[in-house]
Amino acid sequence: MNISGILVVAKLERQADVVEALAGLAGIEVHQVDEASGRIIVIQEAEDIHAEIDGVKRIKALPHVVMADMVYHYIADDDKNYEEIPPELVEQEQACSVPAYLNE
Amino acid sequence: MGLTRRDFLKTSIAASTAATVGMPLAKEAEAAVKASEAGWQWDKGACRFCGTGCGIMIATKDGRIVATKGDPDAPVNRGLNCIKGYFNGKIMYGKDRLTQPLLRMTNGKFDKKGKFVPVSWDKAMEVMVDKFLETYKEKGPSGVAMFGSGQWTVPEGYVGAKLWKAGFRSNTIDPNARHCMASAVAGFMQTFGIDEPAGNYDDIETTDTAVLWGANMAEMHPILWSRITNRRLTHDRMKVVNLSTYGNMSSDIADIEIVFRPSGDLAIQNYIAREIVKRDAVNWDFVNKHAVFATGPYDIGYGFRPKNAEKFAPGREMEVVKNEQEHVVDKWEAIAQRRKEGEVAKQVDAAGAGKDWAISFEDFKAALEPYDADFTTAVAKGDPDESDADFKAKLKQLADLYCDPKRKVVSYWTMGFNQHQRGTWVNEQAYMNHLLLGKQSMPGNGAFSLTGQPSACGTAREVGTFSHRLPADMVVNNKKHRDHAEELWHLPANTINPAVGSHFTKIMRDLEDGTVKWAMVQVNNPWQNTANLNHWIRGAREMDNFIVCCDGYPTVSAKVADLVLPAAMIFEKWGFYGNAERRTQCWRQQVAPVGQAMGDLWILMEMAKRIKIKDVWGEQKVPGLKEAGFEDGKLPSVLEEAQKMGYSPDMSLYDALFATPENKKAFPWPDKVAKGHDNHIAKNLGWFPEKAMFEEYRKFGTGHGHDLAPFDVYYDDKVRGLKWPVVLKDGKWTETRWRFNEEYDPYVKKGQGIYFYGNDGKAMVVGDLDKAGDGSKKVDISGKAKIYFRPYASPVEQPDKEFDLWLCTGRVLEHWHSGSMTRRVPELHRAFPDAVCWIHPKDAESKGLKRNDLVWVESRRGKVKVRLETGGRNKMPRGLVYVPWFDESVLINKVTLDTTCPISKQTDFKKCSVKVYKA
Repeated sequence: MNISGILVVAKLERQADVVEALAGLAGIEVHQVDEASGRIIVIQEAEDIHAEIDGVKRIKALPHVVMADMVYHYIADDDKNYEEIPPELVEQEQACSVPAYLNE
Repeated sequence: MGLTRRDFLKTSIAASTAATVGMPLAKEAEAAVKASEAGWQWDKGACRFCGTGCGIMIATKDGRIVATKGDPDAPVNRGLNCIKGYFNGKIMYGKDRLTQPLLRMTNGKFDKKGKFVPVSWDKAMEVMVDKFLETYKEKGPSGVAMFGSGQWTVPEGYVGAKLWKAGFRSNTIDPNARHCMASAVAGFMQTFGIDEPAGNYDDIETTDTAVLWGANMAEMHPILWSRITNRRLTHDRMKVVNLSTYGNMSSDIADIEIVFRPSGDLAIQNYIAREIVKRDAVNWDFVNKHAVFATGPYDIGYGFRPKNAEKFAPGREMEVVKNEQEHVVDKWEAIAQRRKEGEVAKQVDAAGAGKDWAISFEDFKAALEPYDADFTTAVAKGDPDESDADFKAKLKQLADLYCDPKRKVVSYWTMGFNQHQRGTWVNEQAYMNHLLLGKQSMPGNGAFSLTGQPSACGTAREVGTFSHRLPADMVVNNKKHRDHAEELWHLPANTINPAVGSHFTKIMRDLEDGTVKWAMVQVNNPWQNTANLNHWIRGAREMDNFIVCCDGYPTVSAKVADLVLPAAMIFEKWGFYGNAERRTQCWRQQVAPVGQAMGDLWILMEMAKRIKIKDVWGEQKVPGLKEAGFEDGKLPSVLEEAQKMGYSPDMSLYDALFATPENKKAFPWPDKVAKGHDNHIAKNLGWFPEKAMFEEYRKFGTGHGHDLAPFDVYYDDKVRGLKWPVVLKDGKWTETRWRFNEEYDPYVKKGQGIYFYGNDGKAMVVGDLDKAGDGSKKVDISGKAKIYFRPYASPVEQPDKEFDLWLCTGRVLEHWHSGSMTRRVPELHRAFPDAVCWIHPKDAESKGLKRNDLVWVESRRGKVKVRLETGGRNKMPRGLVYVPWFDESVLINKVTLDTTCPISKQTDFKKCSVKVYKA
């Protein structure tokens, strides 16, 4: 699960509409709205980065949105032990042989 | 309250996001941030990817990176990050990360045809150095090569350059920046006599016009693009123009989109210059004081092998390569260069492509005369479905924007200009127009060359890791420069080799023909990033040579190598990068390297430990040194002189060049600047090499317009990089925002206003449009920049009946270069898994193809299989296809043409001809 903090800038006169539209999107929570500058902070939860990027794109596509960009990306907990040799590399010969496509 | 950990986390991320972009924080939010980030240690760093140089904050806990965010205090990105930027913390942890040295072996012994087997560092170094010395004895300094990088940290590049140039006396070291920046460098050096942009990113917020020439900023420099977007939305007068060979994401907010035919940019720039002159818009006050008109030869070849090309260019390749000797002037060149169509032009100036001479304004004006709207439209209109009238109208609008005396203009470019058969010329043409208008070196006014790599400027260019360069814009073929470097490096006189070494593509050619027999790769992927790859893959695998590849991942280059060394990556080591606006910034080691991986700097020093002075400082075979005043073919022994200076013949290069008693004493480890952060290299060596090398390197630039602050200043918590020259002013290290401008640049004296000091003390021979004069008449160009006339020249390979489409290559937003890091982040990989071939729907239809079809893209040189895309982010004009190069399973560089700008030696990846058919 990816959690991202996104800055959305709305046209000032349509900020309320944008906030409403954002609140209607799946996985989006509106956290802070600055009426003076049209800036809105939203939090997005997404399955993976694919969904995360698409999620930002759908915000950009909303009417009256001037810009939307990710500001904060949270890296979910992962218990992998990075000191170990990745299993793929145990089979060194396979991992580092000259791939067939080089000789095509 | 029933808040779950996730809710808590979200509140905290929202608060951090708000704080990052400068929005006021609620009290509860602040508390939430503190609680959820308990035990995290935040530290500043620079982004690993493009040349923009965004500041990021990295949080570590228990030896692992737990979060990254845009740095709110970084002036470059002000808290924002692009999609790649978020994954700085994840790129080290791909599943196939290399963790131990691998050597090709059979039955326990090195064998070029053997399989990769894990070995110890000791064994790896032993075999590597044996092979090195074997080649060095046989071939001399030109037989050993280094493929360096614009992603090297500053100290890494410095150590690499010093080891090669001072230690091995070899100039055959060249960075991948040759593929991305060399034309920009040549343009700067020829025009201003000093490298790198005068302006900085603050130009964006002070200009009225951004003109993009072959720079798809929206995808390649997204953070700069968000600043331009912001300016466009908040400044009424702001106009954005996007010039490209196809429609791309940067066109979305552009006021004018101009799609031009490959190389048509050369004609469009001359059209603008002609308009400036015709409309009497020349800023004569500026031009008379600060510029001189100039030109150079036209018949300069195309950067192919100068001799014996037919031996290495089989079959159809020679149809193109033969132009290196003779080129038939086509109908456009006939007009553009005032010659006859069909004339056979011997490429007599291929070797002296960079020579130039001064001309009169009358000559300059006469040369521009052919570039009227009719001619420019005929040669430069890139979309066959656009009418001539529409194209002409856009050209006029573009000229209007440049010529308006009340309008500030910044021209931006990246690979579209630099990767160009006439890349140096087209860079110089950008300065031509800005200088004619007097719109240069002022806030919001200037020609601005952007960079692709995070330290193409900081390391490749400033440190001077090119085959012809020394630090601080000095060159090896200048005796004064060599003397100065030898003095600073405490070397015997004549240690440094005066012969320019092989450039990147030439090192590949040298491997292919056996001139180079030992090569090392650091922080780049030459066997994916070099054009016409089939040759170089054969050169690596079938010739008798030894290739060492240092990398974090098994790249194509690792796979064709003989020895693979596991390299530490970005935040596993200390480093400095220098971005496109001259900003030098730094970071500390955040986490320990994975497995047995070690930093590239350590690999170089460890190698230096195993090579003795007597191995390399005796007399050496180097072809053709007469010109530099040496005995022909011989680089003299300096062993005797070295001994007088206190170097014993058995001393290692490590002790002589790096771990000197002074360095070990002055730069001990630990150092309080670390603030608790580790340094795996310093710990291993017992002293602090990054700091020692940075301080030594600083001496080259101090007082020469390249001044840097001391090491510790950059690590100050409050500093977010500094733009050089950085000088001490009122007790404070102060950066320079606009160079050559009295108001900002400490090197410009009061009362000078604008002063291009890079050309101080230099003179030019006066000639006419066709030839340099006899040398009797010279003009002093102190304080001046050159306004070059450079003509249109047609691409050396153009679509014909059989290979009927243009091929352009480049990047996509989600991936960095060859994808060796970004493709290891599963999320980014999934976001853009495979390269596609973008094509106009009508071109697809006419070939009986449709979207998602698997097709062959084939040129005279090779072919690759790729999926067809007719929609999406890029809009191709009919006649042109685009294939990105990040995907190692679609090695598009098997198809591309290894033509280079003859002056800069940078490859043109943007135009060659191909056919596309169903696979």
